[in-house]
Amino acid sequence: MNAAGLDIGSLTTKLVILDGDSTTASVVIPSGEEAEATAREALAQAKGTEFKDSLYFVSTGIGGKTVSFAQQQKSITTCLARGISRLFPSARMLIDIGAESITIVKLNERGRVSDWLGHDKCAAGTGIFLQQMAKLMQMPLEEMAKISLNAKSSAEISSTCAVFAESEVISHVHRDPPTPREDIVAGIYSSLVSRVMALAKRVGIEKDVAVSGGVGLNIGLVAMLEKELGFKVLVPEQPQLVAALGAAVIAGENLGR
Amino acid sequence: MKATGKNNLESILRACRLILRMSQGTADMSPSRNLYYNMLIKYFSRLLHAKENEDFIAAHTVFFPAELIYAMGLVPMHTETTTWMTALFTGECSDILAAGASLGMASEICTPHRGLAGAFAIGALPRPNVMLWSNMVCDNTAKSGELVMELCDCPGFFIDRPFKDSNYEVNYLVSELQDLVRFLEDKSGKKMDWDKLSETVARMDRQIELVRQVNELRKNVPTPFRAQGFTELLTIDYLFPGQPEAIEYLETLLAELSETVKKGEGAVARERFRIMSLFIPPMYLMAFLEKMSQEYGAVSVIEPFFTFWGEGRLDPAHPLESVAKKSYMIPEMRMYRPLDQPALDAIVDCAKQYKIDGAIFYADVGCRHSCATIKLFKDALNRIDIPMLTLDCDVVDPTITSEEEFREKLERFFELLEDR
Repeated sequence: MNAAGLDIGSLTTKLVILDGDSTTASVVIPSGEEAEATAREALAQAKGTEFKDSLYFVSTGIGGKTVSFAQQQKSITTCLARGISRLFPSARMLIDIGAESITIVKLNERGRVSDWLGHDKCAAGTGIFLQQMAKLMQMPLEEMAKISLNAKSSAEISSTCAVFAESEVISHVHRDPPTPREDIVAGIYSSLVSRVMALAKRVGIEKDVAVSGGVGLNIGLVAMLEKELGFKVLVPEQPQLVAALGAAVIAGENLGR
Repeated sequence: MKATGKNNLESILRACRLILRMSQGTADMSPSRNLYYNMLIKYFSRLLHAKENEDFIAAHTVFFPAELIYAMGLVPMHTETTTWMTALFTGECSDILAAGASLGMASEICTPHRGLAGAFAIGALPRPNVMLWSNMVCDNTAKSGELVMELCDCPGFFIDRPFKDSNYEVNYLVSELQDLVRFLEDKSGKKMDWDKLSETVARMDRQIELVRQVNELRKNVPTPFRAQGFTELLTIDYLFPGQPEAIEYLETLLAELSETVKKGEGAVARERFRIMSLFIPPMYLMAFLEKMSQEYGAVSVIEPFFTFWGEGRLDPAHPLESVAKKSYMIPEMRMYRPLDQPALDAIVDCAKQYKIDGAIFYADVGCRHSCATIKLFKDALNRIDIPMLTLDCDVVDPTITSEEEFREKLERFFELLEDR
């Protein structure tokens, strides 16, 4: 039997299948209206890869509880901790920036959660906020990330409200002369990073710090975060899969019992 | 503002009677709980019928010395608790909060006070003959009394209680209490019964001692007291200071808990997590929290700012001095004064004595005082390796945090505790 971890997020659903310590399959697909159907779709996509027929599932994420075929459900913080510890045993803090939330997880030396703090009351500082900003700037997220590295300064963008931030960006775009695009993007990232830093400081920053969630793929944002922290952060190759990996690790532990 | 015809006291009474009727003879309705609900019925019935009985209603804010009101034979109305009870027994307070908003009260103002003002404005509570309040607790309390006086067109009295408790300051507070007695005698036409006040103070001393004994029993593993039972202790303290019913309730509870400990039983089927509760859980979620506690074996075993009385005894021979002294022994006063190291030491000490696994801070968004303490408490507990969960909520307004949000965060926290 293989161990499988399912992370049903608000924007994407992630599946990781383990065979012992190695990953045999990983899938990222958009989340549909029904978590159960999306989970089955992810599983169907993984079928092309080699894994044993029977799977032990642990599910997590916003839709984790609704997956009927999952043997166990775990919270996102536990799964994030277990996933990042598998990838980076030295990590003592994880900054997870998902589509709709920022979660800071503090880890003990055993890779278990010792504390966490979430920000989930406003879209400011989340993946969806960045997507909105990309639409507004009329450029893909990847391009935004690249041009932010060339910014000479950072435009002032509100860090407290996603809606107000949007109108601020519009006013920068239409200013005469307009604020350089790279400076606006740097301002957007800066507003997000300041939110993350405020949360991280409340929990207590401790090295090594890792970053997960789809936003971890954003090189411009990670660079700004490193600048604020004053040191390099650890970023997995597929940062969006960390929680699903953690769920699979827990599934594997349960299988071994 | 127009009266709606709704009466909050009738709603509270209906709910209490229903609970008693539905739970009669079940294991859940212990003799102490039976007494508790009957006490609530007595308290709110007396208030409901005060006008027709030509009784004198003295409304008062939290920690105001109600012993004096009882000793004069007046009818007390604990303002904040009356709002909580509406939330607890009816599940929502939207009408009175909306009425408070119509008065121009900002949403940042503490909901028990906003709701209270709204309740008076729409006639959901009887108008008091006098309003009594103090600077104990917070700035909301200090200003709430003036608003109630205006809304109800009644006279009022404010007690100025010094922060510190040197002899000079306690004597000053005693002089304030003497003025209060003169004010009440003047307005109600009744005389203070000093013998009755001494008896009340003697019983209050016993009441504090009984709570201390209950807490001693709660140190047992497993703990014998119900997961969220401390809110009952709080209500008894607020509504029945030094009253015979309070003594009867606490003695009955103590006997029940002693029996439970003797049998080696606990409040939940399998005690897994011993929790320290900081500040007040949302009243409208009490049933849900009790259910979660049972489901996860998580029990509140101590509440340093609600049930953990400060040291000292009350002397019936000096009733006013004792009432003044009591105001410095009140558990909440550790938090609601310039927060100092002894307050932090108290929670660390409690954490050790009660063998807690984790703490839950119910961060009432409208409470500026308590929310300012979150980081201090968290750091103090983290230093002894105790994790603390902060739950943003409101004590009466269900629109701030949903049951689902609470469940999600509590499950994460219990997983964290389990993983340790």
